[in-house]
Amino acid sequence: MIRIRFHGRGGHGVKTASRILGTAAFLAGFETQDSPVYGAERRGAAVTAFARISETPIRERGMIAQPDLIVLADDTLLNDPAAGVLVGQETASAIFLNAADPAPLVAQYHIAPPARAFDVTARTRELLGRPSALSAGVASAAAKLCGCITEANLEAAVREEFSHLAVSPDAVTKNVEIALSVFAALEPAVLSDVPRAATAEMARVPYVDPVLGASTVYNSGNAEQRHTGAWRVERPVIDAGLCTRCGLCFVECPDGAMSLDATGLPLVDYDHCKGCMICSHVCPVDAITHQPETAAW
Amino acid sequence: MSRQLLTGNAAAAWGARLADVDYIPAFPITPQTEIIETLAAWSQAGELPGRFVTFDGEHSMLTAAGAAAAAGARTFTATSSQGLLFGMESLYTISGWRVPLVLVNVSRGLSAPITLGPDHNDVLAARDAGFVQIHAETCQEVLDSILMGYRIAEDRRVSVPVLVNLDGFYLSFTREPVDVPDEAAVREFLPPFDFEHLGFRASRPIAQGVAVLEGATYSHFRYQMHRAIQNAAAVHAEATVEFSRLFGRSYAAIEQYRVEDADTVLVMAGSFAAKGKAAVDQWRADGRRVGLLRLRVVRPFPAAELAAALSGRRAVGVIDQNLSPGVGGIFCQELAAALYSVPDRPPVLRSFVTGLGGKDISQSEFDHVLSVLDAAQSGDPVTDTELLMTAAEWQQVQGRLASARRPVEDNAPLPTDSDDVRAAVRAEFEDARGGVS
Ligand code: SF4
Ligand code: SF4
Repeated sequence: MIRIRFHGRGGHGVKTASRILGTAAFLAGFETQDSPVYGAERRGAAVTAFARISETPIRERGMIAQPDLIVLADDTLLNDPAAGVLVGQETASAIFLNAADPAPLVAQYHIAPPARAFDVTARTRELLGRPSALSAGVASAAAKLCGCITEANLEAAVREEFSHLAVSPDAVTKNVEIALSVFAALEPAVLSDVPRAATAEMARVPYVDPVLGASTVYNSGNAEQRHTGAWRVERPVIDAGLCTRCGLCFVECPDGAMSLDATGLPLVDYDHCKGCMICSHVCPVDAITHQPETAAW
Repeated sequence: MSRQLLTGNAAAAWGARLADVDYIPAFPITPQTEIIETLAAWSQAGELPGRFVTFDGEHSMLTAAGAAAAAGARTFTATSSQGLLFGMESLYTISGWRVPLVLVNVSRGLSAPITLGPDHNDVLAARDAGFVQIHAETCQEVLDSILMGYRIAEDRRVSVPVLVNLDGFYLSFTREPVDVPDEAAVREFLPPFDFEHLGFRASRPIAQGVAVLEGATYSHFRYQMHRAIQNAAAVHAEATVEFSRLFGRSYAAIEQYRVEDADTVLVMAGSFAAKGKAAVDQWRADGRRVGLLRLRVVRPFPAAELAAALSGRRAVGVIDQNLSPGVGGIFCQELAAALYSVPDRPPVLRSFVTGLGGKDISQSEFDHVLSVLDAAQSGDPVTDTELLMTAAEWQQVQGRLASARRPVEDNAPLPTDSDDVRAAVRAEFEDARGGVS
């Protein structure tokens, strides 16, 4: 069995990528299974999806803690421990990185499995004229690394999955082109068997005081510990020279992620700014510009 | 027949579509919503002749489902978790009307705390509601059980609603290959709904669900439901034979996996049984004689089949994905009762609970279960249900608890004496009234 785990952000299309891979493997005659994990979060938040491909019936379900292949659509997720990109990397046979050159990422994040890379974002920009959902390119990388899926299976799967989405025939053709170029550029991974997980120690859960025995948060204001800024797709940047200190953006920010300094200049709390860009929209003098937050888009 | 990749939710929608249902009362809830979205899209595209109607909540949705079935409409509806509990009064009501329909529940843990992951406490809260209850392990079984469900529900020996359960996420959002049967073959398996006995016509008014204030007469009606659900065992077995002839797939009330020569047997239900089978495969590869029984039909409880299958085994471990506080795992209790009068019953029976709120079960936890069963002896003192959790998971839980606690330095002393509390509230109240008396 090959276990594949995809990581991206809401909007990157990793759920669609897992479906394209699942469909391609299904068309290739394998037993397959694909599934996403949904949380209570949103566009820009970390998203994980899974696929399993096997010659025999699949007796596993749900999350994959020990993947054979890790497929990463956005390398900024390596900064977010909660995204868990490298969980189980010790036994993975390969990792795919959406980047032109994997070497700096491998060094910086101590990536253990052999890394394969392709700049899916650049290719998507080139063909579609804008950074868009990366599903076709990312699915294609996974399909090639698996080594058991043909180009024809992949193309049919991209067409099939895009037929369920509201996309123009031209966009489907271009996505097929993206998929095929990624497929041609990569080599299959050398897959090794994941060894059986070591036996984990078991816990005995005791009775605890109701203060800890009910889901009550006594530490009010602890939402601050959750850095929702990680969901941001675009970063608002204020030009202090243009800003007239009118304070409108500060009032309109729905997340309370702005404060004013002594001169009335708004400051953004980037740990909690979700990048909705309402501040930029309301600014009468266009002093707030948008900067892409992740290289993947 | 076509083989397609379908989520459990899509498989449920296909079940309703192939059953050619007339009426679909609907209300959304995660993780069920995809079922009614799929049916709504087909309805709008003109591919589903049945009437699709949205409701203001599950209580009215289920009441409408029962009323429609009483009027002779083949009815399908679906819910999950809080929705099932919100509709609980209607569940008992419509089964008491003895109307056939199929209700799909997509399992999700109950509030509080509110959650999204699956366990079986929602569907087992409905175990006494007078529904036949079937738990699916795969997306294929979801579709097939809905078709079988109508055949069982509409049989005059049964004539109660059927509830088909699938696990949220692990089935609802997971795609896997599913054989979608041809409509013609389904027509053969499932003839049109013969509702003559239900009697209701606009031209022939009847009073349904009338008050019965005599205990003896009331007892008669409730006992009839018990007999009806017991009859469903034979009707299910007949339906299985016919289903297997037409579609090549066969479902017993309990699925027996590698139990032939097993001295130790696990008992599980739902999609997590697949993980149990993988554990059995590992142990078998290590030369251990272990098997697994999966409870598929939960009501009627397959007591005789379980007794026959477990008679003569050394040890049985029930892994419940539910928890009855103060008792433990529900299926273990029901199984213990079924085994009581078996002369050669297994000397060791242990209860384990895991998978609550969708918590995964690792091979380590299965290994632990096996080691507990291996060490257990006949005549051991009665043990409590064991909650399966790894030390690493427990450590993570403790981290969450720590972040929810008030930092100690912020703990302003609160009035503890009840007189002080009353005085403080009174002062605040007077303040708010501006001293006007
Ligand atoms: S982008 Fe949105 S969240 Fe961020 S500072 Fe502007 S208004 Fe606030
Ligand atoms: S709305 Fe524009 S001009 Fe006004 S305070 Fe914000 S950045 Fe400055």
